[in-house]
Amino acid sequence: MLKKVLSGIALSVLIAGSAAPSAGAVTLMAWGKHIAKEGNGTPGSTACMECHRLNGGGMPSIGAPRIAGQPRRYIAREIREVQAGKRYGPVMSGVVQNLSKRDIQAVALYYSRVHAPKLRDVGKPDPSLVSKGRRIATRGLWAKNIPACVQCHGPGGYGVPPLFPYIAGQNRTYLLRQLMAYAFLKRQDDPQGLMRGIARRLTPEERKAVAEYFSSLQPPDRDVP
Amino acid sequence: MTVRLTFLGAFIVAAMLLSSVDRAWSGPVEVMQGTEIFTPPPDSEIPAGPFGDLVRKGEKIFTQTGRFARKYVGAENKMTCESCHLDRGRKPYSAPLWGAYVMYPRYRSKNHMVNKLDERIQGCFRFSMNGTAPPVTSDTVKALIAYSFWMSRGAPVGVRLKGQGLVKLPPPARTPSLFRGKKVYAARCALCHGAHGQGRTSHGGQVFPPVWGNGSYNKGAGLYKIAKLAGFIKMNMPLSKGDSLTDQESWDVAAYIDSQPRPADPRKLARR
Repeated sequence: MLKKVLSGIALSVLIAGSAAPSAGAVTLMAWGKHIAKEGNGTPGSTACMECHRLNGGGMPSIGAPRIAGQPRRYIAREIREVQAGKRYGPVMSGVVQNLSKRDIQAVALYYSRVHAPKLRDVGKPDPSLVSKGRRIATRGLWAKNIPACVQCHGPGGYGVPPLFPYIAGQNRTYLLRQLMAYAFLKRQDDPQGLMRGIARRLTPEERKAVAEYFSSLQPPDRDVP
Repeated sequence: MTVRLTFLGAFIVAAMLLSSVDRAWSGPVEVMQGTEIFTPPPDSEIPAGPFGDLVRKGEKIFTQTGRFARKYVGAENKMTCESCHLDRGRKPYSAPLWGAYVMYPRYRSKNHMVNKLDERIQGCFRFSMNGTAPPVTSDTVKALIAYSFWMSRGAPVGVRLKGQGLVKLPPPARTPSLFRGKKVYAARCALCHGAHGQGRTSHGGQVFPPVWGNGSYNKGAGLYKIAKLAGFIKMNMPLSKGDSLTDQESWDVAAYIDSQPRPADPRKLARR
């Protein structure tokens, strides 16, 4: 706690000292927060908080994912994959182009450490889809060689660091969009194509049900390394 | 005649549909539960009442062995029954319970005697779970037997069902190589089982089982035999992508995994 306060003071001193801290001058964490808040200062740079919020809660109405507390390595990897064009991200591809390696490390660190409450999705969940989604999430659809989602994303969808993100409490628009992107669009950053195969074998209703189920859960509240 | 033709037509259409679906699944037909492979009864048919309770208890032990059968699991062991018997013991070629149940009692060269299923289950605890054998009269064994019995409902007894046990691969074309196996492991296995075979955890709980080391099966377990491990890997690993490794890759990576340190065979310790 004391440490937090102290670093908070140090940070405000730093920010007060220079309106736009340069990447080298501050700690990785402070620089990450700065990018999240104001961008990295290069022309046309966008602040992450425009869509992901400063606390990483995301924006359910537009399907911007919650990223608070995702594993640091996962966040960094996904940004790099968007840069490399392997992860389909029509919005993110423009936003992350001018992030340097250190910028990526900084925002990944920052967002892996912040906390955000679960934000409500637009519209009410459909109970029948939620229960269908729960079955797939916890039992799988082995007749189609689909393991239970929680076998890789962890019990309750809490994630298995470093590369399996938590999906519990993620917004439903984002989840469905990613399943579609894996199945039909150019999201190709999943290790060994695991998610592509699974997303393709799900029916449209099953994809919806799974998204509905995980978005109905609370996100993990403990820190993930 | 017309009826017959309609039937034939329907059959052809169905066959075409099935084959296109198979292709869309991008996996081999054999690893899936279909008409050729025995389908265990659905969970929804587990009856209410004491028998159903016993079956459900068996399933809990099966999927969360360390929690519900604590005293029979080795202190450091992080496996569950489901680590090897995928889909809660239902998946073909991952030693499904429905395939095993109908084959017991049977002679096993492992202990040179005719084993009953409860004795077989004791072996799982002693070797794969690196623990102690639960007594045949224990609630643990009773529940697991009930669960297996339930799952094999409707299966013919004494028959080797398609998809039972593990697949037996033909002998490897080249002698299994630890060097090649290590590369396969890094590329295809480490994502989930970790670079050091330790598996992976989520919020303190084990998710992906350790494949070597103190948390894994001991040297008395069936999977410590390279041929068995290769057969398991071939049809089941990586999860959701069974049959994507070549036979040779399966042999190589199995040899690599079984070359790593793991707990000793308790039968050999006892003899000392």
